[in-house]
Amino acid sequence: MRPFDYYKPTTYEEAFALLTRPNQVMMPLAGATDLIPMVRDERWQPDGVVDIKNLPGMRDLRVTPEGLYVGAAVRMAELVRSPLVNASPWNLLAQGAQAMGHEQVRHRATLGGNLCTASPAADTAPALLVLEALALIRGPQGERRLPMGEFFLGPRKTALQKGELLIGVLIPEPPAGSVGTYVKLSRRKAGDLAIVGVAALAFPQDGGYRWRLALGSVAPTPIRAPRAEEALAQGYDEATIAAAGELALESCSPIDDMRASAVYRCEMVKQITRRAIEMTVQKLAGA
Amino acid sequence: MLHEITLTINGESYPVIVKSHYTLSRVLREQLGLTGTKIGCENGECGACTVLLDGEPVNSCLVLAVEAEGHRIETVEGLSKGGQLHPLQKAFIEHNAVQCGFCTPGMLMTAKALLERNPHPTEEEVRFALVGNLCRCTGYLRIIDAVLEVAEKGGEA
Repeated sequence: MRPFDYYKPTTYEEAFALLTRPNQVMMPLAGATDLIPMVRDERWQPDGVVDIKNLPGMRDLRVTPEGLYVGAAVRMAELVRSPLVNASPWNLLAQGAQAMGHEQVRHRATLGGNLCTASPAADTAPALLVLEALALIRGPQGERRLPMGEFFLGPRKTALQKGELLIGVLIPEPPAGSVGTYVKLSRRKAGDLAIVGVAALAFPQDGGYRWRLALGSVAPTPIRAPRAEEALAQGYDEATIAAAGELALESCSPIDDMRASAVYRCEMVKQITRRAIEMTVQKLAGA
Repeated sequence: MLHEITLTINGESYPVIVKSHYTLSRVLREQLGLTGTKIGCENGECGACTVLLDGEPVNSCLVLAVEAEGHRIETVEGLSKGGQLHPLQKAFIEHNAVQCGFCTPGMLMTAKALLERNPHPTEEEVRFALVGNLCRCTGYLRIIDAVLEVAEKGGEA
């Protein structure tokens, strides 16, 4: 592996000074589960890495008046096991974290890493999109907040500017009575990237239910499916669910890759969307 | 860049000087001679390099050695005590869960972490816990049987 230097700042000032060094490629390091393979393949060639895990707030997981705060360096396994995240109303995030990677990777990989890598297949992204989370960004110029839907710009591209760090996400408490399901289709039941991933969230409103749907691995970024959401507001009989699958497909632009062809993905968008809706309907019935 | 660190491995302190980009798996094997931990894919796919970090399984090929300072590291060398094999090691032998043996140290460490967290897992829970450990010889069934037997006997994991 090509050598690089390792820094472990404990203040943001120090971290930003390192990350904005002129004429050097400096990269933030969190779980390293993506960074180390990328450096090993020489696709990334950092001169230095900046370990962000010791910066204030990065490992925090707590309820605030604005909702659930998850620091960027909170690990997937912590999300899976945390009673706070597992309990309603945020358990959709725990479902996404559980679907990601395997046991060993979940003990290193972080929420911030899963988002900043900006893979269209990021398993926590559909959950955060339907939970309408905010990305909390801090840089040398100060802090800003961005809706999760504006954070992803393309494969491996985020809205982060040079020197900026994702410090965490803020997940507002979802509407009362919300239930959600994440369904992931992959070549193995676990331990692989998604061919299609669908998160569905439903909550009571005006005597019926409102729905939010998000999909991963079927577009350059994780996406919401607004037309399918609107259709479901009319009800969730079999015909409407089937129609929602078709409408979800209209939001997608999948590609062929080593995991699946675009044609297969399109077919599976309909199936997995239907499955996510039906599983959510079952939970509504049980609620 | 060099880092003077102390790694705590199987309860012993190992002072060591590492370069920034050295992975934990590399330092364990090449600098400390702890070659029980195997290096397979070096990509976080195969699990051969699994060690426990504060009791949890991680791919030591995806951890920088410098990141491991201050954490409790357990490797396969720490499993047997006083010449006595660990119950998991005994069960792996009894069930013929070892063929070429390359995946075994990683399998043992992942299984140990599972049984410490969940002493009586179902077969499905064992299978899910071992997803990140690939074996190309045994077909997995004997490995799963061995882990389940230790769980049933309540063998101290």
